[in-house]
Amino acid sequence: MMHAVRSPMLQAVWWRRISVMIVKELRQLFRDKALIGFFFWAFIMDVYLAGSGTSMQLVNAGLVVHDADQTVSSRELIYRFHQPYFRFDGLVDHPKDGLRRLDFGDDIVLLDIPPRFHEMLASGESTSVQMQVAATHSPQGLSAASYGARIVGEFGLEASARAMGLSANGNLSLPVVRSDHRIWYNPNQDESWFMSISEVLTITTIFAVLLPAAALVRERERGTVEQLLVSPLSPFQIMFPKVAAMTLVILAGTAMSLFGILHAIFNVPMKGSLALYFAMTTLYVFTTSGLGLMAATIANNQAQVSLMTILVVAPMINLSGTWTPPEAMPIWLRELMLLSPLHHFVNISYGIQLKGTGLDILWPSVLSMVALGGALFGFGLWRFRRQFR
Amino acid sequence: MNVRRVAAVASKEWRETVRDRMFLSLAFLIPILWMLVFGYGMVLDVENIPYAVVDRDHSSLSRDYLYRFQQSRYFDFKGALTDEREVEPLLASSRIRAVIIIPEKFQERLLAGQAVGVQTLVDGTFPLRSDITKGYVIAINTAFSEELVVAHVARIKGLAPDRARQLIQPIKLEVRYLYNQEVKSAWTIAPALVMLVLTLAPPLLTALGIVREKERGSIYNIYSSTVSRLEFLVGKLAPYVAISAFNILVLWLMAVYLFAAPFKGNGLFFYATALLFVFITTGQGLIVSLLVNTQQAAAIITVVLSIVPTMLYGGLLVPVSALAPQTKVIAHLFPEMYFTNIVHGTFLKGVGIEVLWPDVSVLVVYAISLLSIGYWLFRKRPSV
Repeated sequence: MMHAVRSPMLQAVWWRRISVMIVKELRQLFRDKALIGFFFWAFIMDVYLAGSGTSMQLVNAGLVVHDADQTVSSRELIYRFHQPYFRFDGLVDHPKDGLRRLDFGDDIVLLDIPPRFHEMLASGESTSVQMQVAATHSPQGLSAASYGARIVGEFGLEASARAMGLSANGNLSLPVVRSDHRIWYNPNQDESWFMSISEVLTITTIFAVLLPAAALVRERERGTVEQLLVSPLSPFQIMFPKVAAMTLVILAGTAMSLFGILHAIFNVPMKGSLALYFAMTTLYVFTTSGLGLMAATIANNQAQVSLMTILVVAPMINLSGTWTPPEAMPIWLRELMLLSPLHHFVNISYGIQLKGTGLDILWPSVLSMVALGGALFGFGLWRFRRQFR
Repeated sequence: MNVRRVAAVASKEWRETVRDRMFLSLAFLIPILWMLVFGYGMVLDVENIPYAVVDRDHSSLSRDYLYRFQQSRYFDFKGALTDEREVEPLLASSRIRAVIIIPEKFQERLLAGQAVGVQTLVDGTFPLRSDITKGYVIAINTAFSEELVVAHVARIKGLAPDRARQLIQPIKLEVRYLYNQEVKSAWTIAPALVMLVLTLAPPLLTALGIVREKERGSIYNIYSSTVSRLEFLVGKLAPYVAISAFNILVLWLMAVYLFAAPFKGNGLFFYATALLFVFITTGQGLIVSLLVNTQQAAAIITVVLSIVPTMLYGGLLVPVSALAPQTKVIAHLFPEMYFTNIVHGTFLKGVGIEVLWPDVSVLVVYAISLLSIGYWLFRKRPSV
């Protein structure tokens, strides 16, 4: 390819062929009305839905209470289980009724306050409060229990400090370690930032892998690739424009969600360089489409290539570090995920947008992505050539 | 409906599927492979949080305090920093996710009975993880404080440590976890993965199978044949439903035996509802396939339409009860949530139709309406 380009005229012809092919791909894509309509849905509506109102932190955990004491103290304790973590759903007459509510799944915590709770507290005796937590969703169950422990602990400490006269104008004069937290990069813990960025990554990945792969196989399935191969186009000139055209489309989609949704509606900051962000997205789309092209050279028809790429894309999306923390995965899987371009792009994308990092810090991720993309793309091109020799 | 014609369409479809060896093996392999990587990879526990410390006190008490973080399996010690300026590049490059800063006079003030604030800087990029990190730090601080307070009170009041402890913590909280006593994330995830896989795989197979005929033009054979619309759809969908019906068993076996999730409910009830859910997702695939003309579009649309609601509203990662009010309404519009309730109900709670009937009836309505819409949309006389 490149070595064949010598004179300026030949070079002009080379570029002209590439651009003609890109236009052909774009036309073909835009004729698929259903796909284009859906493209807007995915990059705009899906990103909007993901960012608005999905929360992974413990909020609104339904709480029912069996209060056998019914005194100032027990009411004060119940009062402390409040929004946003707990949602008080009322009292039950009997613990059994509470357990039934847990069975139905409307509530997940049953707090059981024993009789004589106030009396024992006032007289300095120890008492115990029971908390039954539905752990069908284990992180939620753990969070609920840990918030509960914190609330009850503080309540008890304050009550006893008052009794012992160790509390001076509301502050405890006790040797305690207070937790002062400062959250960086997303100080208000606005989950729409995380969610909408992650959704853009998901949609980008699906389109980047599937679009070029299906386009290449379709050409082979219909036999139109034979026409291209008898033309003066080299395999590179056939494959590259497919990826280039899809990259352009996906970049347009990213720009739509970035400016139309992320910035306009969710106020996601762009702390780093916008140009760098788009450059990196381009690089990512290229890299990822290499994966699709590789699958396209192995598959014989579109159904096969779709299944093959989706087989790989679903784990990529779910395990690359947005939804689940990679630190907690088993080592073999963590190392396998290093092969996922998205794993590196997650760092880059969140880094540029929320942390304002530049290439000086991101270069290891960028380098891995380039290496992966080069290898995938090269392998795909090699297979494609071999099939038509 | 003529049974022989249905059988003819089904056997044609089955042969076509069987002859495409790669398609056939992928149809069975995808659920297994996904179950494997998701089962091991979708760990919801936040563990091994990489962190660094800045100790400005350098006392025995501060070392004692920091030792508790090193001992915890939730934290992964990455090093001690001498200067706060070193923090920023480390957090920015995501090599650490949290920094603990111990102020000067940490020991002095605590021994004098005064409160001390320890600052924790947390990377807030992933809010759930930073929230959990915060919770862990608070738990360690509380445990550490309690010991100090006990010693302090015992000293100034001249009490025995046990008596002092009882005075300070008059209320004991007894936590009992129901349904998942050891609070294993695998118990939550493995059953829900059955839902995830059954949402993604069946509609994909169906949509590709039908659009394939449209794109190749072989569907004109059907248009010009005596096969009625209903006969065609039933025969066409039967092989794909059969594949998924078999996969339900495989997924159930993997969840129970490989990931050791308990199954407390009725197996038959579970299988019946799972099959009902397969009809729904197959129906989704059918509708997509009738609205598009290329397999490219069919694949992308089915994947996005099934991945997004599953991840956001399916109750897999985020329990539906934790959603914001308007999102909760959206979640109720997708069938995934109801099936997750059934899966968790049958696996972990051991409840059956007596509790899950609302979810089952919603799924029945879904199945009937999706398949009828599919029937209504399918025309033997295409307008284009």
